[in-house]
Amino acid sequence: MLVLTRRPGESIVVGQDIIITVIEIKGGQVRIGIDAPREVQVHREEVYEQVRQENIAAVASSQKAKEALSGTPAEEPKEPRQP
Amino acid sequence: MSQPTDDNLEEKVVHFTDGLPGFPDLERFVVIELRENGAFQQLQSIDDPSISMIVCVPWLFFPDYAPILSDAEEHELELESASDAIVFVPVSFDAETRQASLNLLGPFVVNSRTRRGRQVVLTGSEYSVRAPIDLVSG
Repeated sequence: MLVLTRRPGESIVVGQDIIITVIEIKGGQVRIGIDAPREVQVHREEVYEQVRQENIAAVASSQKAKEALSGTPAEEPKEPRQP
Repeated sequence: MSQPTDDNLEEKVVHFTDGLPGFPDLERFVVIELRENGAFQQLQSIDDPSISMIVCVPWLFFPDYAPILSDAEEHELELESASDAIVFVPVSFDAETRQASLNLLGPFVVNSRTRRGRQVVLTGSEYSVRAPIDLVSG
């Protein structure tokens, strides 16, 4: 990994047309501005990771979900029947 | 109604050219109805038959759902009109609590003209990846 030291107001240029600027450093947080062409996807890593994990959970629970959702008519009671 | 043929199957294939988060190599999927006129469908990988997930149209459960696509996503999907977009979301099911939930943060958007789709990550929105749904009302 390339590691660079930057001060607030200073930037990094990636390729021809992506500019990453350190805007402010305060209380253990860094505010970053990103200028990129509109076809470049920029995500907070943890948001993308949440979606990735949820896809894995959806695939893992697919069979159970299929059983529960395809066999349950709308009028069936939600509570288990008393014996 | 004729028997399904390979041609019909091919017509229904959706191409996720970037794969899905967590499944980057799976590009071709079909959408199969779980039951006729039901709320839920199965998004089935063609590249790996062992991979599928249940999906549904989010507005059945969340009428106010309003995902906003970035310019980048619209550009990637070549969406010229909102009416060309088909939107559905992943369904997870917790077998212990028997609670089903929808991933509203990562909807699938398919361009119905081109049959190309993407899973859109709604960065900056407040939507949950596990919005619980009531199966009785579904």
